[in-house]
Amino acid sequence: MSLEKPQIIAHIQKSLNYTVFDSRWIPCSAKFVCMGNFARGSGVLQIYEIQHGELQLVREIEKAKPIKCGTFGATSLQQRHLATGDFDGSLNVWNLEVPESPVYSVKAHKEIINSIDGVGGLGIGDGAPEIVTGSRDGTVKVWDSRQKDTPVVNMEPMEGETKRDCWTVAFGHAFNEQDRCVCAGYDNGDIKLFDLRNMSLRWETNIKNGVCSVEFDRKDINMNKLVATSLEGKFHVFDMRTQHPTKGFASVSEKAHKSTIWQVRHLPQNRDIFMTAGGAGNLHLWKYEYPAQRTKKGADDVDMGVAGSVNLLQNVTLSTQPISSLDWSPDKQGLCVCSSFDQSVRVLIVTKLNTV
Amino acid sequence: MTDRHPSIAPPLSNHRHVVATSVYVSLRRESEMPLIVKDHTWTQNQNTVYISVPLKGVKPASVHVICTDEYLKVSFPPFLFEVFLFGSINEERSEARIGNGVAVFTLQKRRDESWEQLFTNIDKDKQKQIREQAVLKVQQKEAEKSKAKAARIQQEKKYALETMMKLENKERDRIQKMKDEECARATAELDFWRETQRKTAEEKENQQKTRGTGPQDNQPVNQKTVTLMRNTGDTTSGQRSRKQTAKDLPAPRSAGCIQISFTPRVFPTALRESHVPEEEEWLKKQAEARRAVDTDLAELDDLREDERNPDWLKEKGDKLFMSGNYQAAVNAYNLAIKLNRKIPALFSNRAACHLKLRNLHKAIEDSSQALELLKPAVAANASARLKAHVRRGTAFCELELYVEGLQDYQAALEIDPHNAALRADSDKICEIIQGTT
Repeated sequence: MSLEKPQIIAHIQKSLNYTVFDSRWIPCSAKFVCMGNFARGSGVLQIYEIQHGELQLVREIEKAKPIKCGTFGATSLQQRHLATGDFDGSLNVWNLEVPESPVYSVKAHKEIINSIDGVGGLGIGDGAPEIVTGSRDGTVKVWDSRQKDTPVVNMEPMEGETKRDCWTVAFGHAFNEQDRCVCAGYDNGDIKLFDLRNMSLRWETNIKNGVCSVEFDRKDINMNKLVATSLEGKFHVFDMRTQHPTKGFASVSEKAHKSTIWQVRHLPQNRDIFMTAGGAGNLHLWKYEYPAQRTKKGADDVDMGVAGSVNLLQNVTLSTQPISSLDWSPDKQGLCVCSSFDQSVRVLIVTKLNTV
Repeated sequence: MTDRHPSIAPPLSNHRHVVATSVYVSLRRESEMPLIVKDHTWTQNQNTVYISVPLKGVKPASVHVICTDEYLKVSFPPFLFEVFLFGSINEERSEARIGNGVAVFTLQKRRDESWEQLFTNIDKDKQKQIREQAVLKVQQKEAEKSKAKAARIQQEKKYALETMMKLENKERDRIQKMKDEECARATAELDFWRETQRKTAEEKENQQKTRGTGPQDNQPVNQKTVTLMRNTGDTTSGQRSRKQTAKDLPAPRSAGCIQISFTPRVFPTALRESHVPEEEEWLKKQAEARRAVDTDLAELDDLREDERNPDWLKEKGDKLFMSGNYQAAVNAYNLAIKLNRKIPALFSNRAACHLKLRNLHKAIEDSSQALELLKPAVAANASARLKAHVRRGTAFCELELYVEGLQDYQAALEIDPHNAALRADSDKICEIIQGTT
């Protein structure tokens, strides 16, 4: 008898000598980049390659300011430039072969960039490659690397409004050249969905607890599902296909982890499977089941969405410290890298995902 | 009164004592001399003695047997049968069968001999001795048996536990083995995948080298020649990369700005940061203050409806203050305070009036009262507290109590660190203090 449920196996674990905030696979390779800051206050990028069951350090790049987040989402497959946001509020796009000076650099925000996302690159989807950054100064800005110094879109609080930290941003709904949506989560529980085609706020809601991470299940399709995780161990899955004029999107919520859920990441090969990373060092693997009918008629004869259900497939505890970042490999199904605040990075293999 | 054991108590003519002994005596009476059974029968052969004792209708359950090597006692209340055996028997190998209205004892003799009689004739003292010994022996045996039983139970429990643990370990090992196999398989797959990746990467590199300069060349002249070269030396990868550079990326989006507002809260801090208990307290206090009206004042009857409303009086007072009629303003505030002693604004405003009227001590009192009412310190009453501190500070300074005044100005600065005028004033006071010391 062999194990039937997907197993999460910690394949390699490496202890680092700096605090690591984010780790990302370099597309089309078995290498990944770790970003963080040294104890001496400078930023660091390290590139590791998996060789014979061990991690080999390929390159180490030190920068002036600590680096909080990064993405490969907005570059082409040949260039594979990494866009990073740092503690100073600067957005830099690096060519990792020539990391001395950035390909594109701008002082994006006045305060730390908490989250970054890219769309339009890697041969996925249509439209211009763009980068969105969300910062503690309460603004969300969209950048195009062909336009210097000013953002393409700026979502900022109104005059006189007290600002709230933006903790997470995500692109979605980019299924043709014109359409694009940005979803932003804030520390007071606000989730806002901006439509970049109409330059307007399309939807907003409040989930009471600070939103740690939002992600669409796919960036390059008509928006299907959105998962938002928050403090106090709750996450919500919104069905984004049907928007009701007053009630917004239907959602199902789940309490797990018993602590902050720091990250959610969908499997690139199957958009109904996602993994959440918790503040107690544990990972939960979930599968979303669609309901029999995705829409139904509401009270006033307007279509309303129906949320499905979420099943826990597997969970594992890897560490005692929060797992702050998680990234699935787009090339090998089930391979993922995660980093946590115990200054270590782990490569995990999740098995049996094709039979789930 | 402590309980006293009857046998050791001195013979006091104590009522309780007497009662105790009488109870003791009556208990004794119940365990009377039992009826001796004489109609037993016995037979023997060379090595065994069989004794049969009729039970006379007593249930087998209430038959109690004490048997030693020389003595057998069967007690089934109210009957008793005891026999001092002629010879010694082997108690362990003897057996008793109790049932069917009769108790049959099969006693194994120690020495194979024929007994002349069942009883031996021994004197009373010896009898007593033997009886006591028998009882002791039985007790000992019982104790040993129970100890042995306890030890056996312990042993069995331990064994059960060990077996359980072994089973669980086996199960755990099995699962671990399965997991390890999966891990090994996945690792092998990963290595294989990586190898293929590496090979394709190498191939691509080689192809690129043979093709010459890559597609990053921007100069128009070279581009033509390069495209020519590519057209002649056609490889599939070359075609694909050409397509990607030729594909027109849409122009950067025209700049836009979206203004947003955040979900409001009564207090401007997020749930996790708020001092909810203090803020609730402050809100409650305000609500109470609104409601509290001191109604048992004789002068109330003379007042009009308006003049009974502290809010209206406060507004009146404010207007009078604005127009410079400070004394009348004070009167209005006085009346308002008489009606409702809990509104801090009244005290604070009256303090301002007194300041203008140079009633400095009264100003200090009133602003102190206002600050008292403005506890707990929350964001909502920050500006009110600021005003009260400033007024009291000014009054202190006018009275030349500069140190106290400075304290108030410092408190005000804490509430509003960015107020330039405040900072200038407090610096001036510092100078004056340093000048005089």
